[in-house]
Amino acid sequence: MPTVDIDPDELRELTGSEEKGDDELKDDLFGLGLEFEGRTEDGAFELEFAPDRLDRLSVEGVARSLRYQYGDARGIHVPSPNSPDWTIEVDESVPDERPYVTGAVIRDVDLDDEALESLIQLQEKLHATMGRKRAKGAIGIHDLTMLKGRDALRASENASGDEPRASPATGGTPTIEYVGLEPEADRFVPLDSDAEMTPADVLEDHQTGQTYADLVSEYERYPAIYDDIGLFSFPPVINGRRTEVSTDSRDLFVEMTGTDQWTIDKMLNIVCYALSARGATIEEVTVEYPDHEIVRPDFSTKTKTVAHDRIETILGIGLDPEEVIDLAERSGLEAEREENDDGELVYEVTIPPYRVDVLHPLDVIDDLGRAYGFNDLEPRYPDVGTVGGRHERSRLEDAARNQLVGLGFEDLLNFHMISEEENYDRLDVSPGDGVYGAGEPATIKEPYSEDFTMLRTWVTPSLLMVLERNTHRAYPQNLAEIGFAADVDESENTGVAEGRRVGAVLAHHEAGYEDAKARLQALTRNFGVDLETPPTDHPTFISGRTAAVVIDGEEVGVIGEVHPKVLVEHDLEVPVSAFEFDLEALR
Amino acid sequence: MQLPSQQVAVLEAANADEATSVDALAAATDLPPETVTGAVFELEDEGLVAVSERVDETVAPTDEGRDYVENGLPEVRLYEAALEAGADANPVSMGQVIGRSGLEGDAVDIALSNYARKGYGGIDSGEITADPDADPEADAEANALASLAEAGETPLDGVDADADTIDQLERRGLVDRRESTVREVTLTERAVTELMAGIETSETVGEVTPELLTSGEWEDVEFADYNVEADAERFDGGKVHILRQTAERVKDTLVGMGFQEMDGPHVDADFWINDCLFMPQDHPARTHWDRFALENPTHIEDLPEDLVDRVERAHKEGVGPDGEGYHSPWDEDFARALALRGHTTSLSTRYLSGEEIGDLEPPQRYFSVEKVYRNDTLDPTHLLEFFQIEGWVMAEDLSVRDLMGTFEEFYSQFGIEDIQFKPHYNPYTEPSFELFGTHPTTGELVEIGNSGIFREEMLEPLGVECDVMAWGLALERLLMLMYGFEDIRDIHGTLCDLELLRETEVTY
Repeated sequence: MPTVDIDPDELRELTGSEEKGDDELKDDLFGLGLEFEGRTEDGAFELEFAPDRLDRLSVEGVARSLRYQYGDARGIHVPSPNSPDWTIEVDESVPDERPYVTGAVIRDVDLDDEALESLIQLQEKLHATMGRKRAKGAIGIHDLTMLKGRDALRASENASGDEPRASPATGGTPTIEYVGLEPEADRFVPLDSDAEMTPADVLEDHQTGQTYADLVSEYERYPAIYDDIGLFSFPPVINGRRTEVSTDSRDLFVEMTGTDQWTIDKMLNIVCYALSARGATIEEVTVEYPDHEIVRPDFSTKTKTVAHDRIETILGIGLDPEEVIDLAERSGLEAEREENDDGELVYEVTIPPYRVDVLHPLDVIDDLGRAYGFNDLEPRYPDVGTVGGRHERSRLEDAARNQLVGLGFEDLLNFHMISEEENYDRLDVSPGDGVYGAGEPATIKEPYSEDFTMLRTWVTPSLLMVLERNTHRAYPQNLAEIGFAADVDESENTGVAEGRRVGAVLAHHEAGYEDAKARLQALTRNFGVDLETPPTDHPTFISGRTAAVVIDGEEVGVIGEVHPKVLVEHDLEVPVSAFEFDLEALR
Repeated sequence: MQLPSQQVAVLEAANADEATSVDALAAATDLPPETVTGAVFELEDEGLVAVSERVDETVAPTDEGRDYVENGLPEVRLYEAALEAGADANPVSMGQVIGRSGLEGDAVDIALSNYARKGYGGIDSGEITADPDADPEADAEANALASLAEAGETPLDGVDADADTIDQLERRGLVDRRESTVREVTLTERAVTELMAGIETSETVGEVTPELLTSGEWEDVEFADYNVEADAERFDGGKVHILRQTAERVKDTLVGMGFQEMDGPHVDADFWINDCLFMPQDHPARTHWDRFALENPTHIEDLPEDLVDRVERAHKEGVGPDGEGYHSPWDEDFARALALRGHTTSLSTRYLSGEEIGDLEPPQRYFSVEKVYRNDTLDPTHLLEFFQIEGWVMAEDLSVRDLMGTFEEFYSQFGIEDIQFKPHYNPYTEPSFELFGTHPTTGELVEIGNSGIFREEMLEPLGVECDVMAWGLALERLLMLMYGFEDIRDIHGTLCDLELLRETEVTY
């Protein structure tokens, strides 16, 4: 799970609880679902968080939640933004894949080292979570004083052309442009670089560019943001160096681009709330799309109707309406008592604009439970009567396993994933050559390693691998596994036929066909099925000492003495006899 | 007096003036040494013999040692090759000498490391010189080894070589030094007296035979005593795998609590694994580095169309008048893609949807203990495939208290008490909890599971109109807590150590 670093001193300062010791803070944070994992080199708390409360990805957001938990804050606080001065104009050339943009201006922010670090961490954590590694939403934060707005838009002349940009008109509101740019059509100096580069160069030569190249490399035109001076941001890859934020920055321009308006608007709200908590003033920005106009940030609240009865059944306790309203306020929500059409008690619960996790009234009930304290609830065993039982397949498997153990076999449990080499080559069979066990492989697209590229088509290879690993252990080694195997079968809905196989190997100085046959006979006799073993050929086994396992008239497996070339391949110096067949045949 | 025949034989073979070893007695009486040892102890108890013990050191050549006796020590072979190559006159390149010597592999290193030490010559900058005065015939190590090979196991003081040579041979792994306890027996005065008076042999038999029983002879015989305290030869019977045993115990517990077992495919469509769980398609857990997508085959053929529509709507629009979906794209092709299941919740969605065994009416309890597959890092506590214990309860109006009560009951069956509930986030449950339990021996607080009440966005498309609470945990985690195993790979998989499996105690 992801982690967030929080300086405990800053947390104490922002919550106004200077008296809290570190241990006390850790307990309070655990209550919020933030688990203390250790300390960073600088002594900050490393906290593991579940990715729902993304408003807690910075010290400001955690402090806000703690203040609610301590009862120092109640209900909903919404900052009042100033009306818009700046405009983001969205040009028609913007790539279809990334059409959305949002933004805000932040005034009078006091960025000391800690605050700047916290802002950068928040940006990174939002990218990693809600922004889906910048694919869904990417944040750019700029020093506003370094931007020069223009008000006449000539994007159409420049979006895809090589001509220098036209000089700006003057007057009106300052405007920046979100456009689509041909990969080599313009140059800028990106962060962490001294050279002017085209966006194509950035993807090729710049470290950050290489990291995020996959996000845009298929685009015909790249996303780009211009002010009057020129290109200053190449979202979602990198900002220009000109507008880089430092501790001297007082006013900021925050822009976000993405594939979904709601997502970037919510990310913007979280950033605005964090900066507002540090005393900054938020100023709205107008976003002009070709066909409509919006004003951001959107600090509107939403409401959920939550039934009193549902709160009580989920939490399993009775509550007074006053208690519910109190719990809501202590969760940073506001609840108003109402009656629905059926005359039932419900609450209109208002959700603040920084919350991204409330999709349903149930999520509100979870908040109420957390405020109440889930660990204060008394567990009770549910008064629900049902009858238990095992699945027939698992009963059959257990019965066969018990018989094998009674016949002296050590029961094994091997991996279902295997390599082609182990499954086929080392047993001298090939996929689809028609012999038992050598079915077509179900293969894995991106395997963990070359040892686990497919599902095993039979269990004998696994048993031989175990023998190979244990040549230093005492013999006899009589091993069995009732295990999963699968192969490609187009008649199945998933395209894969899955089954359980009964596999057994006998390895000791006198192991021979008869040993294996005696045990197979005992096993089949116990299940009351007819066994025949007509001679057959199978490359894994010695010719003339190999038979098909035919149970109730159907060929379901193979039995024989393992061929010396297979034994030598597995570094074995004792004879091995083996059988394998489909468990279903014992039914 | 009367004594069993073996004891009489030993008494007669032993001597009052001179100690006789057990081996010598065995040879004299034609009895196996262990029988003689048994008889000696009986006689000692009777006060008829005195037994003294001493520890003898012996040396014997190893297989490698015998090989060198036959083919010559590698350094001697190297020396001989060097002489042939004329290295007594001028330095000769190492490769040439080695090639001529016929040495290969480890033997080359062995030869080079002993060559100069034993004064056969020098090795410098890849060239070999040979000392013309060196005499392989006088090689103390070779000679000691040869005499040992002839004599076999020899008492240390009987070896015709100095102690340094033997030490050197042992360091080179060419001889083994063994310690053995030698027991020597002397007759007591009482024995001498009794022998003079005459000792009769009592009739004893070793085995109960069919003849003995049918003839009635068993009534007149005495059975020879066994050393019943001695260890018998080791026998490894079969045993159910320890992880299976643990799984069985979990299954028994759950069946006892009224749960029915589920079964279903390991290779399944992402639809059943994730989409039905209201997992957004752009959720990080659904990306390639967490999941094993299949390369062949790639897609499921049939999905229930109505259900696909309902699930898609839940993802896009949410459920209920106040519901809202994910602000993420939803693609049916991605839902049809096949993967190894990352959790057995895919079975739960199949059962809850009614597709597996028909529509279910509350109340119901279901479980499975089956394998899941995660593209995680393989290490002592993580496997790519492991068993997940999955359970759910379907009933009207379930509360988090019911959830807590069910877990407390389940875990107490395994000695894990004081469950703590940490509020948590899962895309498909709300409220959600991580479960923490106190380890019974270490007292550590460890995460033992993940749980919650299934969201309405998940249940409504599946057609479930009541509450369902569910949880999952790793069986291997429970096993490691119960047994204190340190590396799960010793237990589960083809790297397993048979000795560990054989030595592991059974569970019940």
